[in-house]
Amino acid sequence: MSDTILKFQNVTFRYDGDEGKILPPAVEDLSLEIKKGEFVAFLGHNGSGKSTVAKLSNGLVVPESGDVYVLGMNTKNEDDDIKIKQTVGVVFQNPDNQIVATIVEEDVAFGPENLGIEPSEIRRRVDEALKVVGMYKYRMHEPHKLSGGQKQRVAIAGIIAMEPQCIVLDEPTAMLDPEGRRDVMKAMKRLNCELGITVVFITHYMEEACQADRIIVMDDSHLVLDGTPREVFSDVDRIRGLGLDVPQTCALAKMLKDDGIDIHGDSLGVDELVNSLAEILNRG
Amino acid sequence: MLKDITIGQYFPLGSVIHKLDPRAKLFYTFTFIIMVFVSSNFISLALCIACAVLIIALSKVPVKTVIKGLRPILLIIVITSFLQIAYVKTGVTLIDFWKIHITSGGILQALFMTLRISLLIVMSTMLTYTTSPTSMTNGLDRTFAPLVKIGIDFNIVTMIMTIALRFIPTLIEEVDKILSAQKSRGANFESGNIFKRAKMLIPLFVPLLFSAVRRAYELAYAMTCRCYNGGKGKTTMNALKYKKCDYLVTLLTFAFIAGVVVLNIYCGEYNAEFTFNSAV
Repeated sequence: MSDTILKFQNVTFRYDGDEGKILPPAVEDLSLEIKKGEFVAFLGHNGSGKSTVAKLSNGLVVPESGDVYVLGMNTKNEDDDIKIKQTVGVVFQNPDNQIVATIVEEDVAFGPENLGIEPSEIRRRVDEALKVVGMYKYRMHEPHKLSGGQKQRVAIAGIIAMEPQCIVLDEPTAMLDPEGRRDVMKAMKRLNCELGITVVFITHYMEEACQADRIIVMDDSHLVLDGTPREVFSDVDRIRGLGLDVPQTCALAKMLKDDGIDIHGDSLGVDELVNSLAEILNRG
Repeated sequence: MLKDITIGQYFPLGSVIHKLDPRAKLFYTFTFIIMVFVSSNFISLALCIACAVLIIALSKVPVKTVIKGLRPILLIIVITSFLQIAYVKTGVTLIDFWKIHITSGGILQALFMTLRISLLIVMSTMLTYTTSPTSMTNGLDRTFAPLVKIGIDFNIVTMIMTIALRFIPTLIEEVDKILSAQKSRGANFESGNIFKRAKMLIPLFVPLLFSAVRRAYELAYAMTCRCYNGGKGKTTMNALKYKKCDYLVTLLTFAFIAGVVVLNIYCGEYNAEFTFNSAV
């Protein structure tokens, strides 16, 4: 119990349709548990319900049926609202729509200020958060003059400054160029490794998902696969059937295997694949 | 290109005036505006002018820029002067030709009004020239914070101001994008009469409005995630602190009020004839 940070129990949720129309559920009968310190990726094509999971995870929306627990606190209980939002922070896709203030460091201070923390402590947290995401030297800049990746890292710093135990990122890299994507990925890994923060991120990019400890795949409002990247990507046909890509290495291994070449089924990393190919070639 | 516009025309020059606490600046600006109207003769107005000149000199803002700030109200100055000259009939008659009847009183009154209006504009633009939007909102926030006791929560107003300032560049960028998108679909924003052009703005503003509303929703979620609850129990990282020079400026502001009042009493009501005769 104590090492579970986030728990979904038979959660169903649907958005309100126009003029009382009933929409199909965005998430249906979802049950999962996320443990402290995990680095989890959510995969799924558009409309599979993964963004809704982000909003459910800290009570921005509450389930129609079933319950979401954050450290044992039910998100339906409004008395725990502030505590829940302090424990689980959510970062969204568009950094432009998350930055509140006109100066980077004041934006990062926004969360702690709302919590009523002492000014000297806010200063310490803001500096630390900006250093973790590598944006310290931009602290006096205006957000609109930064690149997309930089803005997204400022948005992440804004959440870190509240010292949450878990961060949920809803496609934080979707609007970024490759360089911005790399920087954000690096920042997320640092949070997980150095600060021990549980990181849950939603993504479209298989290469990013591969770097997680655990991958959860959603399709049509349901959870369909849950396991390590190795397990999840071992079944290439299944993943493709869900309208998703597999990492290029897995795709190549699969093609070779289909041609009758005996290669390990789970060649996830480039090095790994190179090694197994070299082995086969040496064998002649 | 559109990205580089400055909001509120702030000149980051780092002068003594720039470094003052925004509350001190707000206080002297509002005092000044009131005192300009309280001044009832040319001598107390001269004191106001002296103060304005001192502030401009200390702020290092180029005089040219300050004068340029008067351009938008040139028409107002001309109309007011004209009305004063046309209707004030006191003092010595200077020109009496056909229906034109200009008196010294009219001229002096016109001059008096021109000075008043110009001082008003100069001092309020000096406030925005020397105070960054952020520090201005901070200053307003702290100045009006006590109003919570009578049920007016100024925190929400400053939050709205901050968000507006934050989103102006974002929305300008968006306008740029929509403009290009519509142009690439064959829209023509540059030709036709004024009605046609106004109509062309519909495909610009409708998408802009939609996107602004969508942004507002997302921003609301993001602010909720950061425990925003309308500013209750909020602290500030960069708390404003009244320094020695701020106290000094506030003291000088009071001295200025006293000065104008004393000059008003001693030099009497503004008297066109007297002033004109002594001037000659």
